This record gives sequence, structure tokens and C-alpha cells, in this order.
Amino acid sequence: MDRLLISLKFTLLRNSSKGLRVVGWVVGAALVAGTWAAAALATNDQVRGSVLTLAFAGWVVGAALGPVLMSGSGTLRPDYFALLPIDRRALGRGLLVSTFVGIGSGYVVVAFLAAAVHAALVDPATLVLVVPGALLTWVFAITVSRLVYGLLGAAMRSKVGVEIAGIQFGLMFAAIFTGWMVVQAAIESIPALVRDGLPEGPITAVLDGFPSSWPLLAVEAAATGDWAAALGLLAALAGLDAVLVVATVAVLTPRQEVTARRRTGRRLSPRLVDGGGILPATQLGAVIGKEYRQWTRDPWRSLEVRSGVWTGIAIGFFALVSGEYAVLAAFSGLIVAFMMGVAALNLYGQDGSAVWQSVVGQDATSIRSDVYGRQWATVLVFLPHALLITVVFILLTQEFWVVPAVLAALPALFGAGSGAALITSAVGVSPGVDPRRRVGPNDANGNVSVHLWVVMALIAIGVLPTAAVILWSLLVPSTALSIVTVLVGLVNGWAAAWLFGRIAIGYLQNRMPDVFTRIRYGKVFRAEASSGVLDWVAALTLRGEQEMVAKKQKERQDKIAARSRA
Amino acid sequence: MSDEQNIPRPGFALELVDLRREFGEKVAVDDVNLRVPRGSFYGLVGPNGAGKTTALSMAVGLLRPTSGHAVVEGIDVWSDPVAAKRSLGVLPDGLALPERLTGGELLTYWGRFRRMDAAAVASRSAELIRILELDEAEQLGTLVGEYSTGMRKKIGLATALLHAPSVLVLDEPYEAVDPVSARVLTRILRRFTETGGSIVISSHVMSLVEQLCDRVAIVADGRVVADGTLDEVRAGVSLEDRFVGLVGGTEVDEEELSWIGS
Repeated sequence: MDRLLISLKFTLLRNSSKGLRVVGWVVGAALVAGTWAAAALATNDQVRGSVLTLAFAGWVVGAALGPVLMSGSGTLRPDYFALLPIDRRALGRGLLVSTFVGIGSGYVVVAFLAAAVHAALVDPATLVLVVPGALLTWVFAITVSRLVYGLLGAAMRSKVGVEIAGIQFGLMFAAIFTGWMVVQAAIESIPALVRDGLPEGPITAVLDGFPSSWPLLAVEAAATGDWAAALGLLAALAGLDAVLVVATVAVLTPRQEVTARRRTGRRLSPRLVDGGGILPATQLGAVIGKEYRQWTRDPWRSLEVRSGVWTGIAIGFFALVSGEYAVLAAFSGLIVAFMMGVAALNLYGQDGSAVWQSVVGQDATSIRSDVYGRQWATVLVFLPHALLITVVFILLTQEFWVVPAVLAALPALFGAGSGAALITSAVGVSPGVDPRRRVGPNDANGNVSVHLWVVMALIAIGVLPTAAVILWSLLVPSTALSIVTVLVGLVNGWAAAWLFGRIAIGYLQNRMPDVFTRIRYGKVFRAEASSGVLDWVAALTLRGEQEMVAKKQKERQDKIAARSRA
Repeated sequence: MSDEQNIPRPGFALELVDLRREFGEKVAVDDVNLRVPRGSFYGLVGPNGAGKTTALSMAVGLLRPTSGHAVVEGIDVWSDPVAAKRSLGVLPDGLALPERLTGGELLTYWGRFRRMDAAAVASRSAELIRILELDEAEQLGTLVGEYSTGMRKKIGLATALLHAPSVLVLDEPYEAVDPVSARVLTRILRRFTETGGSIVISSHVMSLVEQLCDRVAIVADGRVVADGTLDEVRAGVSLEDRFVGLVGGTEVDEEELSWIGS
């Protein structure tokens, strides 16, 4: 059965995106090479020891977080097998065993074998400890990885899972935006780390206590002749592994209750349903309320919010620790405002086929309410985060002179971003997987590459007046000009939101059914020829969508053809 | 009194005129003509893939026809959608809803979105939720995305009824609905037609259509192969026999599938 599960896992993985897997293999190989290089290049035994404990802990943390993005661990889910007449514990064990077989898992064990460099250099006799040590650490890391993933449920099924995925996406976006800052910091700090090791103190003490460090400590103990301590450390790791394996098999064993009703809560919004509520009981209020709830309760929308928030935090943090660019951290809130535009660029696609309601319920004002309501809800969801991050990072940097510029740029970005997002949502609706069938974190959107550029261009155009006044106020600082700057930002934001919203409304007025058919049938049925910039963007995004679908279909057919030839 | 054929167009609740939809080479709906008189309970039956859902999607303004017209109470759905949609209540099959709202929140959103008075929305929602037995789920805060298929049908029907439309178009309303709820559903729909409303349902359960509908159309390969009153279409046999006779069925011989039960 274990072998069957392993081959099933590989079959499923073969059907995942090849490009992403290749990137994973290259990055993994580079990290393994980096671990070995760090071991080889360290200047002395003590430095090598501390660098390797840090690297090994990094591998364990990476293995624990990685599966949320790379689907290796989540490929086989216990509930797939719930109806089969097989022994439940055997299935739990098989699911754990299948996690150990894979390229990523192979990289992990090769990385832990870098302890051999340390052993050979401190005392070649201790080399005998390296292979059992590396294997025990490997079992530790992979089991922890599967346990964390099992406890989180599939990432998108729990708040913690969404948060972790949000941190990962946030770090990824932050790395894309500020790659130069990180690369520079890394280039400056890694040679120093390899040369001097970690400074003695609480960090090294905590790292030494971490189980992935125990084989290294065992090597060092054996080198001083204390073989009893060395074997004791390895035995402790083996014991820990055993406990983890038992716990993980228990977590992975499918249970009956999982399928039972998950929610045993209480009425969610009794005042609203009874005819009240905070928002006005109008068409616009209805849309704002519905959208706000979708934003806060839907895992895919929450992931967009959390990713945006963590991008702001990560960029602020990178800037803060870089020293040189610390002042940029004061603008972190603006990143969140900008990310709102990116997060909301495909709202109708996020709704999926639920858009039928906007079509069937269309009346004289419904499209206006729908567009402005969605803009309001999006701003209401992101604004508190942007304000909080702004306040925290301005306090951390103590750069209070940026306050007027930030107060002007925030409303301008929020206005332009919410409007720009509605334009691409309307013109380039990109369905992804329909809501009830979504599983993975990337399921909510289809091909949104064009949308991203359009949103960025529209935001840039939309905030031009504010940008110009901010520049002016920086060149000729004065209190009066600061006040004018803030006012311009507010008016600019309001005007951009209204104007971009109008464009989206004008576009949708006769095209709401086309938005629905793009989601439901993947194409638009329209007799009349279209013209104009918006129609051109619409055609471009639709083509991108259809090309992606065609490419996936072709890949699948090629695979089937290759298999039938074999 | 004039005979039914001569009643002017506004006499029909729903009228499909030469309605056609092509998907590339395939003709999903092939020049369909249907007239649903006011106050009738109309059943659209046909095998899977016959074009029922496609025809109904065009009738309610969700899918643009290749050619032809869909007319609701005398108003063309595609040339005056806002006026036509005012009198329509729609239950589509297999489409998403705002999945992260509870049933009550969904009805509140939908009523207010359709510009109904807040007090009316609240009282009608509460009544619909109670009658359709969704109140326990509402108390527990269950989201629509966590509903079973039958519960989704029920909340979908509630959204279709909420603004008191005069024409209901329901795609597979009884699918996955338990027998107790089905009785409630039937009572609601009967009350609807008794008070002058008109209903079109699609289904492939013949006994259900026979029991509910006074008029029937059989659709196969995108064409209407028979329509009229239930008795006209049945022509003396059961609807199922007539259906299989028109659409054609696969007979299972004695020697086929002999391993079942062996």
C-alpha cells in the first residue's frame, strides 16, 4: 500500500505545472550547494558549527512552511481515501511515508549531510556519526513538515494556514520589489557570517537547543572524546523522531468526525438579517456589506489581504534593517494601499459563477451600486491595515517629516487603486476555479498578468497630481504647502475613484451578461465588432485566458500521447 | 371568446421565438419556439445535454442568443433587460452564490440589492428561512458554501421568490431535495400558480413533471420534439414511455452486464 500511495503521489505531481517544479528543483539545488559551501568556507570550527546550526534550522523551518506553497505534502489528502475499505492506521502511515519520497525530501537529506565537512575537519573519527545524525534530522524535518501541514488542514481551510500562506506571498512580493535591497544586505552580511560566525548570546543558545543542531553538537562532543554525550544526543533525537512519527500518523489517520458539521457557532449577523445593520439599507449598502463579508470570510480573498499586509510589513522591515534605506520604511503603509489595487484586480473572477446574480438582478442603478459598493468595501478592508502599518513604521523610523506626504499619498493611492481594480475586474474578468471547487491558494484567479500591468499603469496615472504636489512640497518645504498637499491627495483620491469607477460602470452597462459568459463558458458571445481601448484590453485578457487553457489542455494531451506510446 | 392561438403576446408569461445558440460547430439550441401561458406550470424535460439549461439561460438574460428572441410578459429580455428582469425569479442550476454569507445574510443582500424595503426583506427572509427549514443552519451561522446540495436549492429558491416575481424560471428545482422539503416546495409552487404566477421548471424526473405540470415540452438535441398540455403530449401513455419513444433509449439485453449480482 505504501508503494501504491507513493506512485499515486508521483502521478498527481506529474500533472502539476512543470515550470514551477523546475524552479523548485533549481532553487533547492542552489540551497543545498549553499549549505555545503558555507560549511566548506567557514574560517574555523566554531564559526562552522554556528553557521551550520543556523542553516539546518533554516532547512527545518523551510520544510515546515514550504508545503503550503509547493504542493508536495498536500498532494495526497486523507479524505481522498475516506470511502475505501483499507485499514485507517495503515493509510495514515502510508501518507506519512509517501512524504519522504520526493526530490525536495532528497535535497533535505543531502543538506544535512553537510555535517560531514564539520566532522572531517574537527575529528575524522566522528564521521561515523554523520550518516545516522543526518538521517535522524531528515526524519525530524520531514515529519514536522507533514505534521504542520496536517494540523493546518489544507492551508486554505484554516485561518492560520491562510496567514502562513500570506506571509510567504508577502515575503515573495517584498523580495520582488526590494530584491536589490535584500541582495545587497545578503552580499554584505553572508561573508561576515561565514568569517565571524554568529555573535555569542541568546541566539546561539536557542539554536543549539533546536533538534536539528543535535547531530552537530554530537560531532563536537565526540571530537572532545565525550562519546557518551554524543550517542546520548543522537538517542534523544531518535526518541523525538519516534514521538513525532506516532503523533503524525495519528493526525493523518482519517476520522469519521471530520466530515461532520464543522460549524457549531451562533447566528452571524442577527441585526442585519432582522432588518437593521450598520450600513444603510440601500442597494449600495447591500453591496458594501456583502463584499466586506466576502473579503473577511473567504480564504482566497483573505489571502489577498494578508499577502498585501505582509508585503508592506516585509518591505518596511527590509528597509529598516538595511540601515541605508531605513527612511523608506516610513512609507510601508503606501505599499499596502498599492497592494490593494493588485489584490482586487479580478473581483468578478473571484466571485466566479455567482456573478449570475448581478446579471439577473440588473436594474437601472444596480451596476453603479455594484461597482461603487465593491470599491468602498475594498477600501474599508485595506484602510485600517495601511493606517496601522503607517503609524508603526513612522514611529519606528522617527521620520516625522514624511507625515504630510504619506497623508496625501494614502487617499490618492486608495482612490486610484480601487478604481483601477474595478476597471480590470470588469474588462478582464478571469475566472480561475469556481468557488466551491477551489483548493490551492492560486485557484481564485486565471491568467491575470495583463491585469497587473494595467492596474499599475492606471494607478500611476491616477495619482499623478498628488505625486507632483508631493515632489513640489519636498523641494520647497512650507507648512502651507504641506496642508495643500494633503488636500490635493484627498481630492485626487476621491476624483480618481469616481472617474475610474464611472469608466467601469460605462463598460459594464451593456456587458454584464458577457462578464458571466466569460466565467461560465470562457468566451464572449457578441455579434457586433468592438473598438476602443477597453475592448482591446478585454480581448487581450480573454486571449491570455484561452491560451492558458489551451496550453494546459495540450500539455495533458501530450502526456496522454506519450504514455500511450510507452 | 377568442381561441388561445389568437391571444396577443402579452398573454404569455414567457415566449421563446426561434431561439438559437451555437457553440462553434455544435448547435446547442436549434430554433426553439415555446409559449408559456400565464398561470401555467410548465415542465421542460429532456435527456442530459438536450439544451434545457442553455435555453433557460437565454430566456432569463444570462446567455446571449445567436438569434431569436426571449420575451417575458411581452418584454424582450435582450432589448429591454431591466424591465424584463423585474418580473423574473430565477433559480439556475449548479452556479455559485456569495458562498461566505449565511442564508439570512444572502437573502438580506439580495432583497436590498433589488431595492426592496428593509422591513419587507427582513420579514420575508425570516418566513422563507423558517418554511424552507433553513432556520437551524441560520442559528448555527452556517455559510451557504457549507450547505448541502438540497439546502442550496432551497436557499436558491428563496432568492428567486423574495421579490415576489410573476414568472419563475427554475432549473432542476427538485434535484437533491429530500422528500419532506420537496412537499414544502410543491406547496409553495402550487400556491404561486394559484395566485396567477407562472412557472417553468426543467427536470429529467418524469413522474415529478407529470404530477406537477399542466403543460410539458420534450426537448432533445436542442429541438422541441413535442409540446402542449400534459395529456396532449402523453397521448394516452405515460410521459416516460412517450419520452423514451421520442428521444430513443438504450435497451439492456439479458446477456449484458450478467456479472451484476453473480
